[in-house]
Amino acid sequence: MRAKRLVVAATSAAILASGLVLATGPAQAATNFCTVQNLQQAGGMDALVKAAKAEKELNIITVPRDWANYGEAIDLFSKAFGIKINDDNPEGSSAYEIQTIKTAPASKQPDVVDIGVSVLPDALGIGRKALFAPYKVATWNDIPSEWKDSNGLWYGDYYGLMAISYDASLPKAPTSIKALLTDPAFKGAFALSGDPTGSQQALMGLFAIAAANGGSATNIMPGIEALKAAKAAGNFVSVIGNSANYAAGAYKATITWDFNGPGAIASSAAAGKPLKFVIPSDVALQGTPYLQAINTKAPHCAAARLWEEFLYSQNIGKGSREFDAADAKLSGSKIFKMIMGGQNIWVAGAAHPITEAAMIKKKTIVNAPEGFAVPKTAKRVAPSPDQQADQKAIVVTEWPKL
Amino acid sequence: MDSESHRKMADTMRKNLASNLVLIVAGMFLFFPLYAAAEFSLRNGADKTHGFAAYRWIFEQSGFAENIGITFRVTLLAVLLNLLIMVPTVTWLHLSGQRYKRVVEILTILPLIIPVVALATGAQLAMPEFMQNSVYELSFFYVVVAMPYTYRALDIGLSAHPLATLTNAARSLGASWLKTFTTVVAPTIRPSILAALFLMVALSLGEFTLAQLLHWSTFPVWVTNVSQQNIVGATALAIGSLFFAWILLFAFSFIGKKNSTIVTEEE
Amino acid sequence: MKQSTTNNVDVKGALANKGAFHGFFSPSPLPLLPLSLFFLIFFLWPIGALTGNAFKSNEGAFTFSNITMLFQDPYRLAFKNSITLGLISGLVGAIPGLAIAMAIEKQGSQTLKKFIASISGVLANTGGVPLAFMFLAAFGPAGLVISALKSVGIDLYGLGFTLFSFTGLVIVYAYFQIPIMVIVVTPALSSLRKEWKDSAANLGASKFQYWKKVGLPILMPSFFACYLLLFASAFSAFATARALTVGNIALVPLQIGSLVDGNVTINQANLGYALAFGMIVISLIAMIPYIWIQNRTAKWQTR
Repeated sequence: MRAKRLVVAATSAAILASGLVLATGPAQAATNFCTVQNLQQAGGMDALVKAAKAEKELNIITVPRDWANYGEAIDLFSKAFGIKINDDNPEGSSAYEIQTIKTAPASKQPDVVDIGVSVLPDALGIGRKALFAPYKVATWNDIPSEWKDSNGLWYGDYYGLMAISYDASLPKAPTSIKALLTDPAFKGAFALSGDPTGSQQALMGLFAIAAANGGSATNIMPGIEALKAAKAAGNFVSVIGNSANYAAGAYKATITWDFNGPGAIASSAAAGKPLKFVIPSDVALQGTPYLQAINTKAPHCAAARLWEEFLYSQNIGKGSREFDAADAKLSGSKIFKMIMGGQNIWVAGAAHPITEAAMIKKKTIVNAPEGFAVPKTAKRVAPSPDQQADQKAIVVTEWPKL
Repeated sequence: MDSESHRKMADTMRKNLASNLVLIVAGMFLFFPLYAAAEFSLRNGADKTHGFAAYRWIFEQSGFAENIGITFRVTLLAVLLNLLIMVPTVTWLHLSGQRYKRVVEILTILPLIIPVVALATGAQLAMPEFMQNSVYELSFFYVVVAMPYTYRALDIGLSAHPLATLTNAARSLGASWLKTFTTVVAPTIRPSILAALFLMVALSLGEFTLAQLLHWSTFPVWVTNVSQQNIVGATALAIGSLFFAWILLFAFSFIGKKNSTIVTEEE
Repeated sequence: MKQSTTNNVDVKGALANKGAFHGFFSPSPLPLLPLSLFFLIFFLWPIGALTGNAFKSNEGAFTFSNITMLFQDPYRLAFKNSITLGLISGLVGAIPGLAIAMAIEKQGSQTLKKFIASISGVLANTGGVPLAFMFLAAFGPAGLVISALKSVGIDLYGLGFTLFSFTGLVIVYAYFQIPIMVIVVTPALSSLRKEWKDSAANLGASKFQYWKKVGLPILMPSFFACYLLLFASAFSAFATARALTVGNIALVPLQIGSLVDGNVTINQANLGYALAFGMIVISLIAMIPYIWIQNRTAKWQTR
């Protein structure tokens, strides 16, 4: 009797088990999203979105909300896919991103990074494994070849131009860098956006000042000399040109990335100060593009890849304010098609997305905000990473002697 | 004699004038920056009116409850650790361990002179993974960082009373250990314990660098990040916290002495 | 710090009577174990790891090169500036701090003492961006005080005053240095017994003679110890310096920030750790006289 029961039980169990196996069938060969290198390997957009949603979170790092309109990208992505985005140290530097990858425990690892070119050698690591996982987004071919790794380890995302940001209450609008530093009307007005021995943006500002005063991408010393003279004349205030000091009235004008414009103008208005942006008429300093990459130790692999697809999407569609709950119920690929792509979100933030040229050809680009046009008289200067490296050494020794 | 007392009176007035002047000048120096920042924090934006809108701002941000909760739990553990480790050790040092006092004093000064950046970097290099995965690692580091202050608060408080004599006296009068502890030791050291715990809480509520570098989102870290978008709100928060902390400290200084059952020399 | 002279006598007597201090109150150092372990794991171990990295090259090999770089510009300049800032800011905090503490002692009112104590406790902890903002809002180019003075014809910035200089930094640092001084020097002042002053007066000494022969000699060591504390505080201050300068004044904490977390000099984190190590060494050197003095003056601060 007992033996019979056992046999029945065993057989039922076997049938059940095989049934389960059959039912789950193909999904048993589950995709390991941590090794997926493009959308095909992921099984299509629907599969990618499904896996990303299951991961529920995305870790990003050192992304200020008002930097190149990233705030909108974060809000839209979270809303559309129901994924919570954790931003570690929004005001941190690219070096902080790489340090974090190297030293943080598994749960604190960022999924993706947005770094400056200067930290790339350290990240790629000569003689040891690179820190990044290869991935090629759907719009890969639209990225210029000099700004992407052939294996897909890193890829440029956007670049900016140096613009003058100034308080509208100044007696007249500063239209050129040279005037800003020498005109007595701007006494006590100009501050550098940061410490050029630590801040990439401030370093590029110094390059712009150099180019406006007889220097170039290979000669930054005239920039330091010009600031010395400006300090003596009283135009240069030796304080960091950030929003707090601006609100306190410590300075009235600085040189900063144009893609910081829309965010800065909005938050200054909230504090009751009228901030304006203009590209200088003497020098249009073009920065090297920032770079995106996926961390090999990413804790949320599918979400990381979905985020990259999102950032490189050239779609024109709904923003975070227009997207509603009904839209969220659609399938993954449908949602992806109907939301604004990252490249266009950056355009709205006055940044220049990396696939700009292709987007203009395909006519998939939205209009840039008003007031950021490049004057025809402006000399284009674009210091390459090597040129920057050379001049940095001079800055580190000469700047503390200002 | 009249000229003598006259001279004494004039002398006293001159002395008081000098000390009053010092206090007035110091007061002005300390007052103006506070006033200027407070005025800024009360502004209502583009229009020139004033109001308390900025003071409500931080409470209205999503993430307020979550992050205050995290800091609350970290602080609670830090306070418990202090009670379990610092208080018994310092009490013991005063009662039986005088010879080790000097060494402990020197050790507890060390966290003061080590930059917190160094501690954070070292922590990431040294600590095992399982410790770094829990936000409560912060509690342990906070106890260390607060040690110079908590040790001194306990030390000064305990030195103010001849604890060994009192304990000895109670014991020789026949009191049991429990009675000695509850009626002699505990009331004596309670104000110092409270002071040390208060320092611990103050540090935990304001500590930013260590939490940030160890990639944790605590209340101070969250506040700093959110404040980037709103300078007026950030200033209101800074001024508000200063004011709140001062009120607490001031009120606290009145409570401290009242409950002491030991008669001491008035300072 | 404070030590009762009666303690030692009683402890000896109590120790002789084993019954008095039994169990928990034992003379062996075992009760120090929890604290020592704690200190070892959560302080000495991380600092040791950091110090180790100061002597490593980027490839991991042992090297002195990071340390030797400390003796070259701009790092040498930074150490010079930081030490100078510490020394000067220490004085600017110590002397007014002492004056305020003495003034309060003279006033005698308990409420005033509690008021000052609580305010000092709060202000001693201000710093960084909030403090810089407060000063900019009051004494910055568009500050309330500056604008008020301008409206009556006094243009301070025109006359050369500025917050964005070494002097400006010293002025802002004073905001937390003075309260620190008030807090740490008050116990020393209150240990100057009133009886000594009265006895001196009774024996015919004038105020000046009292201070010259009795007051100052007793106070000096404590004053110096507190000054050293202020030095360490100004020497290692980071956030405030960063909020008020733009790298034009080389300071060690700022350089550590640029090296370890900056975007310009990359891959020189170990040099940053070496700078931190240098800072620790200098602070330790400043603390040794402090500890020695505190031990010596403990006698005078008994009750």
